[in-house]
Amino acid sequence: MINSPTHAGSAEVTPIDPTARGPLLLLVGMALGWLVISGTFALIASIQLHTPQFLADCSWFTFGRTDAMRESTFIYGWAGNAGLAISLWILGRLGGNPLRATNWVTVGTLFWNLGLTAGLVGIATGDMTSFSMLQLPAYVQPLMLFAYATIAISGVLAWGGRRSDGTFAAQWYAVAALFVFPWLFSAAQAVLLWMPVRGTVQAIAAGWFMQGLWTLWLAPLALAGSYYIVPKTSGRVLPSYDFASLGFWTLLFVGAWTGGRHLVGGPVPAWVPTVGVVACSLMIFHYSIVFLNLRVVTASVGNAAQFIRLGLIAYLLVGLLDMITSFRFVAEQMQFTFLASALQQLGLYGAISMIFFGCIYFMMPRIAGVPWASVAMMSAHRMAVIIGILLLVGGLAAAGMMQAGDLLNPSANLGDILARIRLPLLVVTFAHIILIGANLLLFVNFLKTAASRADGDVRVRNLFRQPSAIEASAT
Amino acid sequence: MSTPSQPDPRIDLSVVSDQRLLADHEKLLGKQPDDRGRYKLMPLALLFFFSGLIFFGGTYLGRYSGNFHPQIFNETVHPPKAGAVVAAAPVDPIVMGRAVYSQVCASCHQPTGLGLAPVFPPLAGSEWVTGSEDRAIRIVLHGLQGPIQVKGVEYTGVMPAAGPGSGFNLSPERIAAVLTFIRQEWGNSAPPVSAARVSEIRAQDGTRGAWTAAELGP
Amino acid sequence: MKNGPLFFLGLLAAVAISWAGIVLGSHAQLGELPPYFDQAEGQIYPRRPGGIASRGQLVYADLGCAACHTQQVRRPDFGSDKARGWGDRQSVARDYIHQWRPQLGASRVGPDLANVGARLAKTETGAAGLHQLLYQGSSTHPSYSFLYEEEALVGERSAAALNLSGANAPVPGYQIVPTERAQTLVAYLLSLKTTYDFPESVPVAAPTKTEETKK
Repeated sequence: MINSPTHAGSAEVTPIDPTARGPLLLLVGMALGWLVISGTFALIASIQLHTPQFLADCSWFTFGRTDAMRESTFIYGWAGNAGLAISLWILGRLGGNPLRATNWVTVGTLFWNLGLTAGLVGIATGDMTSFSMLQLPAYVQPLMLFAYATIAISGVLAWGGRRSDGTFAAQWYAVAALFVFPWLFSAAQAVLLWMPVRGTVQAIAAGWFMQGLWTLWLAPLALAGSYYIVPKTSGRVLPSYDFASLGFWTLLFVGAWTGGRHLVGGPVPAWVPTVGVVACSLMIFHYSIVFLNLRVVTASVGNAAQFIRLGLIAYLLVGLLDMITSFRFVAEQMQFTFLASALQQLGLYGAISMIFFGCIYFMMPRIAGVPWASVAMMSAHRMAVIIGILLLVGGLAAAGMMQAGDLLNPSANLGDILARIRLPLLVVTFAHIILIGANLLLFVNFLKTAASRADGDVRVRNLFRQPSAIEASAT
Repeated sequence: MSTPSQPDPRIDLSVVSDQRLLADHEKLLGKQPDDRGRYKLMPLALLFFFSGLIFFGGTYLGRYSGNFHPQIFNETVHPPKAGAVVAAAPVDPIVMGRAVYSQVCASCHQPTGLGLAPVFPPLAGSEWVTGSEDRAIRIVLHGLQGPIQVKGVEYTGVMPAAGPGSGFNLSPERIAAVLTFIRQEWGNSAPPVSAARVSEIRAQDGTRGAWTAAELGP
Repeated sequence: MKNGPLFFLGLLAAVAISWAGIVLGSHAQLGELPPYFDQAEGQIYPRRPGGIASRGQLVYADLGCAACHTQQVRRPDFGSDKARGWGDRQSVARDYIHQWRPQLGASRVGPDLANVGARLAKTETGAAGLHQLLYQGSSTHPSYSFLYEEEALVGERSAAALNLSGANAPVPGYQIVPTERAQTLVAYLLSLKTTYDFPESVPVAAPTKTEETKK
């Protein structure tokens, strides 16, 4: 029996973990590595904003290409690998069976990351597609799609073959992210790359994909991790849990319609951005339900819970700001400025990445079978990442505010604007240096942990106290 | 190995096992019988909130979506009746007439409107241009051959037809435009010609060969 | 939530319905937008750019210029676009029908480029100025010197050679010549004009009630 109450440690480490050890460690390792690489590109790009001649002679690192590489490695390298690891792990554990098709996961991971690497070389040599968040060259995208599908199979099988009839919110979000992404990805590729639609319809489709990436893929991955770890670390039953499904379906059905919101005032029919604005407002319902469910994270203890707490605060803030900034009288000023970047970084780094960090910290001892190698690195990473994100978002927001005010003033010369926002942009560069350092610490910590893992079961049994002994009763 | 009282900071302990997690939450989803119904109602507050959002969204959509019209790019335009928005700005006949003249007529009657004796009569100061508009329309529609007296000088040449169905195939709008143009250019001053009148004359005359000066009269 | 195909159908529906509504819906409306025939001038607009300018758009896209430049003008009462001289009217969908991949952009670190061809046509040094900016860069614009070649001066100076002085001037006996990529890029930039007033870009006000009863 898996959960024999007398066997303390095995109550927490199921047979799922050892079998999935290899592929999951590979995914997490790749994710953390790409995060550092993405940070390097981000640093170069941020330097080029205030010092345009930095690396300007090298065609591989011209600003447009560097920014595309930063974005692609962050989303497909870091968020993709980490999200896949987290969702597979959660589906496995809640499914109650060892993960199946793990060889496919390994193969898929290798091809996913090989494709990404080839794509990066492609971007650097001039094959970027110029669609935001879909910058990988057209020739690697089918490979990425195929690789993702082979990895996702394992998760869908874990859902289908689960032991209990009912399912938990974390499972819905995880399997949604796994299942929906290939459709989203292929639909975007079809109308943008293989059979391009005409003129500004491309911009509309690209906007649909970009928002879909957030609401149909990244947000579900983050919420899967949150919905799992919050009750596990707080011991509480999630309040208002009966409405969790409403929040889930709202995210999926309404979120996908927010695509037009960045095209306010653009060369598209007025209904496209209007529908996007309305959808952003309706999404407040989803964020409210997430708040209602996950507010007990305040009762959670532990390092992972801290990350999730901060990540969820950022997530809710992003939802609110998304709605506010989508309205035209705000968008008129905020459009095309660094404020939009600040909001995007708040979402990608502040919300998604922080939640992923929490999940990784929670997950690693269980799959590796050993505790994290260094406490000092853990706390250094935590502090540095929080400071880094605050400086990053704050710096971009400050630059954006000044830029917004000046752009509206027709006599303000663009060159002068850039000179005026030089200081916040320097802060952003500094933030990226801190973040690279922080993520390097995490990566090194991970490598040491993975290297030190013994043959799992014996050591880890002693690590975990029997949960049933301290299970709090439902509130 | 860590003692129970001192949690190991390198591990995040779970307070709840997976089984317990699933079971507890599944219980919540179990249908709890109401007095009448069989399901738990959404709290009123949430329902009102959602309805409020839908109401707001619907109003916003109604006001700012431009009736989902593909050619409305400015959302503040009050949704017009169908067709009103894409009505093209009216074409200036002088501008169109000038273009037609330079493409079709100037090769013979010259860009200066002075013509070329003894074959092409001038248009500047010509009584045939500033006179009866019906006569001028007929000349352009079906052409003119044989001798013609213009400003006391006789010209003998052939003017090809330029109306619909001819080699130049000018529409009534373009004929009206070019006539309006020449009737106000080079010192001429005569009222403009309307496309409707051109179409009337064309319907009256039907298909015919070129006119002669005698047929057209003064 | 129970399992079963219904759940996955729901997931698929979420993607499919939004894709159909937003992408297919706008494709149905704008996918076959024809150019506009101007009666007065007897020409269609937008004018199709020449082959060299079309190739320049590929260069623009692969260098990622859209990371700092937009190519969409907002309407006069929405922001300061008109006041800055970036365009007299809002960009509409018809402006982009001949573009392989419209580079609308999302960030204005640099100026909007939708009408840069029209702006530069009014100056005397359009192409030369652009080449100089791209080769040297400035305090606010990176240099793209890899788009230019230093060639030995053999015989006559090339007509395309850049006129540079001071620190940037080439070594005597050499000239800086734009590569084909630079030439196509500049040709593309000079072709960017959205000055023609399509009927939908300057909407005619809806007829008032009195006008309607007259009809």
